[in-house]
Amino acid sequence: MTATDTVSPDNSLLASAEAHVPAVEEDLPPPQRFWTKVWRDTFHEARAKVGAVWIAVLIVFAVFGPVIANSHPLAMKSGGHWSSPMLRYLTPVDVILPIFTLAAAIVLFFTRWSGGVKVAALAGILAVVSALAFVLVHPPPAVVYEQWRDLARAGKIESAVHAPVPYSANDRLRDQPEKRLTGPSREHWLGTEANGADVLSRLIHASRIALSIGLISTGIAVVIGVVVGGLMGYFVGKVDMLGMRLIEIFEAIPTLFLMITIVAFFGRNLYLLMAIIGLTTWTGDARFIRAEFLTLRNQDFVQAAKAAGLPLHSILFRHMLPNGIAPVLISASFGVASAILYESTLSFLGLGLVDEPSWGQMLNQALGVGGAFVWWIAVFPGLAIFLTVFAYNLVGEALRDALDPKLGH
Amino acid sequence: MLSYVIRRILLMFPTLIGMTAVVFFVMGMSPGGIMGSLLSAEGGMKSRDRKALEEYYDKRYGLKKPLVVQYLRWLGKVSPVGPKEKGQGWPKSTSVGFKSPDLGESIAKGRKVSELIGEALPITLLLNALSFPLIYSLSILMGIQAARRRGQLLDVGMGTVMLGLWSVPVIWTGVMLVGFLASKQYMHWFPTNGLHDLRADQMPFLPAFTKAGWERGWLLDTLWHLALPVFCLTYGNFAFLTKLSRGSMLEAISADYVRTARAKGVDEHGVLYRHVFRNSLIPLITVAAYVLPGMLAGSIIVETIFGVPGMGRLMIEAVTLTDRELVLSEALLAGFLGLLAYLLADISYALADPRVSYE
Repeated sequence: MTATDTVSPDNSLLASAEAHVPAVEEDLPPPQRFWTKVWRDTFHEARAKVGAVWIAVLIVFAVFGPVIANSHPLAMKSGGHWSSPMLRYLTPVDVILPIFTLAAAIVLFFTRWSGGVKVAALAGILAVVSALAFVLVHPPPAVVYEQWRDLARAGKIESAVHAPVPYSANDRLRDQPEKRLTGPSREHWLGTEANGADVLSRLIHASRIALSIGLISTGIAVVIGVVVGGLMGYFVGKVDMLGMRLIEIFEAIPTLFLMITIVAFFGRNLYLLMAIIGLTTWTGDARFIRAEFLTLRNQDFVQAAKAAGLPLHSILFRHMLPNGIAPVLISASFGVASAILYESTLSFLGLGLVDEPSWGQMLNQALGVGGAFVWWIAVFPGLAIFLTVFAYNLVGEALRDALDPKLGH
Repeated sequence: MLSYVIRRILLMFPTLIGMTAVVFFVMGMSPGGIMGSLLSAEGGMKSRDRKALEEYYDKRYGLKKPLVVQYLRWLGKVSPVGPKEKGQGWPKSTSVGFKSPDLGESIAKGRKVSELIGEALPITLLLNALSFPLIYSLSILMGIQAARRRGQLLDVGMGTVMLGLWSVPVIWTGVMLVGFLASKQYMHWFPTNGLHDLRADQMPFLPAFTKAGWERGWLLDTLWHLALPVFCLTYGNFAFLTKLSRGSMLEAISADYVRTARAKGVDEHGVLYRHVFRNSLIPLITVAAYVLPGMLAGSIIVETIFGVPGMGRLMIEAVTLTDRELVLSEALLAGFLGLLAYLLADISYALADPRVSYE
């Protein structure tokens, strides 16, 4: 792509105006929408593709975790008839995720609704699916993972279809204590932990936490940053001055220190963790939006919107925001990477979730008491964190180069 | 310039007050409050003991007072300006003046906070003082090399490699280094823990041959203990700054004054080091403000993994012990150092680039 066909939002007008000159007609690129072009430029490069592929793999792990790694057989024949223990032991979240992902894929890629309608539709679907799942899905409260292996040993299962990784994340292998802390083998591809849990299965199930923390906490940070930064850039003066002090206050506290303080005093909880990471990392987004709005507020279209008597939220979010969102999108992509890093660091320091598997918490167990070092617990979870952070950073860089060619090569 | 610096220093006070207030009210508004966290850390107690402890904490630290009162009391104690008692007789004449800030006493450790910080801070500063010049010198060198070989293999591959290096989580590097290079199971080349050998006190300062044979000495012993932690603090920022320094070198190379210098016949070496290099330093100076506080946060992780008794470790201890005084003082100190770094970066920015002026 050369600089001449760089397309801005209203370039289709320009294209049709120039189309009157017959000689140029064949050379003209087809009119493109701005974000379509950004999307194409971003994923044109190999590095962004590699990053996107790894993120896609993680999404598959997160959504279909129960089918990929599960102690409960997917289907089994016992006493002459077939049943599916896997389905019976699904939690509400296990049910919500695949249904919502499918619906989201359909809404995002196969409908021609406008952006606002899509977001509203997604929120509606999520609300309905979650409500139904929490009402209708009731897994048995006590889970005995080894029951199927016991049944199989007793010869009571005629035939069974197992998941590719036939161990749940919290399956402590109580029937096989000799399997604790064994290295990679044919049964446990990436080895087992000190309490017997399968490392690969825990890695797969932990991708759910990593992805959701990354996306939701970045979402919270972006919303706060856009609102605070937008108000600062639009109103200038006293609002700007106060907002700047607020930003400085949050930038002055080391983020990690504030996070561990909150977690230590408020306790560990997935949703709290997301909120904390979001609440402590919004300052960069606010700075970006403020800078953009400071230049936008004097432009004609904003003045026109003001003169037309549009309400404030319309001026801020419908007219100014789409023109100033680009730097925030770039920082959000890097933000997801750093949110995942923060979560794994908190878990590594022993301040993460207790029951759920997490990459950082697994890494923490690699250095046992007395300096014993278990290499398979160190290498694989660390690699998972690294690959995920790297993937988001690669996509972020490609996005930055696509939005601002000046910064790149 | 001077008036700008003075204004910035004065603006530090509201920021620091706001910051410690955020940290204080986070602690105070947690379920059970500061008192509850402290008591639950004690574990199961008989109700009489519990009551006695509660009374003691209230008497000593005023933990039952309203949160705002507690915060204002703390603020009054640490503030460098405040009422000073003068004279013995009654009525005591008080006047407002400078006093030495009192950071109070750690609740869980029973020692003066200033003492605890006085022991821990130099260690963290030493770690950072070792890795900061390392980061800058190495990344400037790499950036120059990449910019000189623009478009060649070294340059093209380096962008992605550096992004990769930047993405390697410190917790992973730390665990792998301890595991493979320091633990007894594998290489055992480095110590796994601490800052000094147990016998460090009896060592001579410099390495020497004694009757017992080769003695590595106190200095070498300390450096040997610091090698892995410093590496962990260095590589991420090194990768980040290398990318930045390459970019700013390239931008400077294509500037008009470089073309002018070439046109008037300055040789390539002179162009690169006298014209390009000096101008490309400016963005590196401005990010120092973000690199320094980041390294302080990084030392939380590094010191925990390598068992170095510095500020990072003290921060983790204070938070897990829910020690109000210690947490607040650490927040204050970290915030102060961060703001100082921002200010220094802004000043050196103006010194490096004559076009920048704060008047």
